[in-house]
Amino acid sequence: MSEKEWAETLKRLREEHKETVARSQALLKEQQAKRKAIRKALEEGPRTVPEVADLTGFASHDVMWYVMAMKKFGLIEELEMDGEYYRYQLTQEKAK
Amino acid sequence: MPDKETSKLEPSQMKTDTEEPRIGVYTCYCGGNIGFVIDCERVADELGKLPNVVVTRTDMSMCSDVGQTMIEEDIREHGVNRVVIGACAPSLHEQTFRGTVSRAGLNPYFYHHVGIREQDSWVHSHDHEGATKKAIRLMSAGIAKARLLEPLEPIKLSAEKHALVIGGGVAGLRSAWDLSRRGLKVTLVEKSPFLGGHMAQLEKTFPSGEEAGGLLGPLIANVVSDPNITVHTYSEVTGVRGYVGDFHIQITQQSRGVDDTLGEAAMQACKTEVQDEFNYGLTNRKLVYKAYPGCYPSTPAVDWDHCPDGYLELEIDGRQIKLENQPKTFDINTGAVVVATGFQPYTPLKGEYGYLEHPEVLTLPQFIRLLTLIPEGKELQLNGHRVHNIGFVHCVGSRQIEGIHEAQEDGQVNNYCSRVCCTATLQAINELRQRYPDLNIVDIYEDIRTYGRGHEEYYAEASANQVLFMRFHGEEPAEVVRATDGDKSPLLIRVKDYLTWGEEIEVPVDMVVLAVGMMPTSIEDLIRLLKVSPGTDRFLLEVHPKLRPVETAVPGVVLAGTAQGPMNIKESIAAASAAASKVAVLLSRGKVELEPFVAHVDHELCTGSGECVEVCAYEDAISLKPVSMDGKEVEKALVTSANCVGCGVCVSACPNLAIDLQGWTLKQYDAMVDALVMDMSAIGVKHE
Amino acid sequence: MVQEKIRVDTLVVGGGIAGMQSALDLADQGYQVALVERDPSIGGKMIQLSKVFPTLDCCSCITTPKMSAVAHHENIQLFTYCEIQAIEENDQGFVSNALQKPRYVDVDTCTGCRQCEYACPIDVPHPFDRYLGAHRAAYVPFSTAVPQKALIDMENCILCGKCQRGCPANSIDFTQKEQPFEIESRAIILATGFEITPPDAKKEYGAGQFHNVVDALVMERLLAPTGPYGHVLRPSDGKEPDSIAYVQCAGSRDKTLGVEYCSRVCCMYAIKQAMLISGALPLADITIYYMDIRTFGKGYDQFYQTAQAMGIEFVKGKVARINEDENQNPVVRVEMIDEGSKVVERMHDMVVLSVGMLPCYDPQPIFGVRSAEDGFVLTPSINMAPCVTEHPGIFVSGTAAGPMDIVDSIVLAGAASAEAAAYLEANDGNRRSVKSTTNAARVTAHA
Repeated sequence: MSEKEWAETLKRLREEHKETVARSQALLKEQQAKRKAIRKALEEGPRTVPEVADLTGFASHDVMWYVMAMKKFGLIEELEMDGEYYRYQLTQEKAK
Repeated sequence: MPDKETSKLEPSQMKTDTEEPRIGVYTCYCGGNIGFVIDCERVADELGKLPNVVVTRTDMSMCSDVGQTMIEEDIREHGVNRVVIGACAPSLHEQTFRGTVSRAGLNPYFYHHVGIREQDSWVHSHDHEGATKKAIRLMSAGIAKARLLEPLEPIKLSAEKHALVIGGGVAGLRSAWDLSRRGLKVTLVEKSPFLGGHMAQLEKTFPSGEEAGGLLGPLIANVVSDPNITVHTYSEVTGVRGYVGDFHIQITQQSRGVDDTLGEAAMQACKTEVQDEFNYGLTNRKLVYKAYPGCYPSTPAVDWDHCPDGYLELEIDGRQIKLENQPKTFDINTGAVVVATGFQPYTPLKGEYGYLEHPEVLTLPQFIRLLTLIPEGKELQLNGHRVHNIGFVHCVGSRQIEGIHEAQEDGQVNNYCSRVCCTATLQAINELRQRYPDLNIVDIYEDIRTYGRGHEEYYAEASANQVLFMRFHGEEPAEVVRATDGDKSPLLIRVKDYLTWGEEIEVPVDMVVLAVGMMPTSIEDLIRLLKVSPGTDRFLLEVHPKLRPVETAVPGVVLAGTAQGPMNIKESIAAASAAASKVAVLLSRGKVELEPFVAHVDHELCTGSGECVEVCAYEDAISLKPVSMDGKEVEKALVTSANCVGCGVCVSACPNLAIDLQGWTLKQYDAMVDALVMDMSAIGVKHE
Repeated sequence: MVQEKIRVDTLVVGGGIAGMQSALDLADQGYQVALVERDPSIGGKMIQLSKVFPTLDCCSCITTPKMSAVAHHENIQLFTYCEIQAIEENDQGFVSNALQKPRYVDVDTCTGCRQCEYACPIDVPHPFDRYLGAHRAAYVPFSTAVPQKALIDMENCILCGKCQRGCPANSIDFTQKEQPFEIESRAIILATGFEITPPDAKKEYGAGQFHNVVDALVMERLLAPTGPYGHVLRPSDGKEPDSIAYVQCAGSRDKTLGVEYCSRVCCMYAIKQAMLISGALPLADITIYYMDIRTFGKGYDQFYQTAQAMGIEFVKGKVARINEDENQNPVVRVEMIDEGSKVVERMHDMVVLSVGMLPCYDPQPIFGVRSAEDGFVLTPSINMAPCVTEHPGIFVSGTAAGPMDIVDSIVLAGAASAEAAAYLEANDGNRRSVKSTTNAARVTAHA
């Protein structure tokens, strides 16, 4: 399949799946905004989940989910515990 | 569908190159079982420095498809020709990985398994550094052995498409029927003169309420009318030789004593009575007897256990007739054995909850029989005393606690739950409530375990029908004592009831029913003959409760029903069918394979001293036979592979080092020991 | 590519532990088996668990080799992400209409490398991790999935094509369509499994609203080394819990939910989890609120005794309600039965609901097999034929036949394969039973 054909197939499919694509795009937008805010909160140094929640204003369970997802895909790494909470930081590569 | 089996490589066709060993070393995290303790990455890195090691890898679970595929690819694409895996115990997954290696086209015995879970991470869970070093050591020994591995082939034996089932209760009957339906021939032996086991003594079954006899009868009929099944009653296994696929079993059968023509008259003529075990001693029966109405076989039998001299003299129609027991012994040849020897109800010790001290104390099995002996509409009586108040006590002989309960003869208490007693008790209580609406019923329990499908309903029904429940704590069992003279009821149950603040309560009762648990039928001789093992609870032990739940450690010997542990009828049936499935897997192809780890004699070195034969504990495993060497007839040791278990005793006894165990040779051991003690830093391995 | 029609001896529906075991037991006897699983990987609920009672073997160690054995068995054809839509019967047996759902990935070339997953921009709550972790819209189901192949979650895909660019094997194919095919078989085994009590069933326990009141399957994932957090942390804020409580019978033995039966596994899994937690968090207090402890299996009561000796607190009590304080700590209101039924409130960091097993599939519309009142498959002769349904040739295995633990599922799976094998033998002229060689009396007794 040529690059052009491929792009056209995707376009056609996006049209076919209009509803789910629109919903998913909205979701992606929200996710990108939240990930950005969480990254920002971690830029100054390692934090716990409640600290990130305080800085971003997001609910702490929501922060928890994002941090764990980002950890799974290598964007965040876990440090030692601070009291009852682990601290997290941006992985070195991403922090650069 | 193409039959892929034909395209499968036989081990002999597989890569058995004698080229330089190229060893792949695989260290498993085992979830976290190993990885949380041992630094698997370090183990892999260090072992990679050893000679001949061409690849080292780690994985979260090497036994998963991902892990196995990785190994296969290394063999196919990277020329790995020896595989060393550090993981759980070989008993768990040696077979799994042998399959992996074999699928990749390598001889399956070019693989060595090192147990770094049971032998390392589990026992050194607090010493990460020490455990990591130990893993490096153990696996380097495995690598040393791997360099010397030789291709082997499993021992192939033809298998009798025939199974022996020991026990004619519901589990044994069901296994036999399922095996026959699968196309195998079956011999069933039953120790007592009649088929049916304990199920014949039950009335209604839970949860359906169907009559036990109505369910058992058709199963017995199926078995005895099946042309593929031979049934021997009054018979026991008295000898076992051979191995999976080809067992030779000796069976000894007692005489029945009478035939159909003489049977009825002999029953009439016999005057001697003994306690009837069918009614658990509540009634008597004659020495010439039928176990129960409609029993199978219908021919009566003589109870030789109560004829100490082995004969019984009767006067029938004015003639003196001497009935004699002439036990008969015969052999059968079978491929597999199903052990379905069942259970015995727990017999309380004298004085335990007043048992045998007060005649008003019965066990639940006795009580179930008692209810059948009292005609419908007649009042509940025991020894002429009308019962108004009755108490049931749970967990008698089950869930016992050391130091609280008196131990059995073997010094152990029954610390297990017997599974069936809760529902059986509540079923009996509901039946009682229906028949005797005015009776006061007390149920004294620790936990009500009506776990099965349709069982909770019995608890609900009892709770809704004025049954008074009291709850004790295991370490404070209830007591049964004689009431003061003049009290209305003869007995008192003393219980600390935790449903009412842990108050000490005395319940006056006319009868106490003890919900006794299950104990395995005592089969010491059979255990010895079959070389199977009981667990700490005395029930027979399965290989692994999840991986191989009905198989024993002895190839070809499987378990069915309550010989393995307490079960109800449904569970016994399921276990019996599962056992039949396993036997079918084993025998339906007409051949079995055994591991090739057996002794091998080098006839160049053997002087025929016979010391190996002296020390060998297994029948027909090693013997001196004349062989011709250089034109001369000389005596040499010969191993019968199928009978050799690979214990290695002969290896150590041989004065000429002429015997080796295939797969575990002396050279391999030397190499392993050398590796265990070598200075690893000399070859660049950071160890100390 | 899926063939249009395949012919086997037995179709097994469901690739959890019971379905896998039934398939293996038949295939090992030489019968041809097709195993159809609705999810993209086999393994069922069991592969989600951390460790199994009473041996405390890691679950992967027991499940993954069986998954691998199924995938590699010469007599088993495995169809994942596939559903049976209808069956017909003829004199040869059954013809099942199966539907292969599109993965949008060419499984023949996909190597399971997960590059597509790393390329995909969308995070989706992962059902395998009980939604506490994430997968991407392009993903491999889980690390030990069989087959180890990616798929695209079209419901959450924006069709950006990043996965396609990221795939080194060029395996992404958005044009894939559903593919119907037929499976002819002479017998069918239903191993459709169970589901757990839904999170919002027990409103009074705050499930579904309170983040720190979780179901036991969540705790399994938290305890699993491959779990979403890698540790036992509470979902509301990542705190390591000091005090964890279990509420037993949360969804079983409960008339208000219409679930009167006991789910059989909850006592043992709660005790197991309590032991594992005390291993992971040695300082944590663990309480189990129960009505009856039902540790009835082989070695189970001994397991219970060990847990008591380890200091796990067992409290006979009825939990009436769970509230939440301002720090999202669950507060349990419980009637302490051993203390004269006084009612107290106790605060914990986390509460685990020991949820029950519910039927999850009604085979009536497609297979013509009725369920009993409890919703599990009806086996008319419950004691003597626990795997035999009302429909000749259709058998039931595992938790489709009622709540049971893994050991009992595996045993019942063996029994189901025995029933199916017997049925196949009785209904096939090609396979003959062993003929009796003698007409002599086969029941011996000698006078």
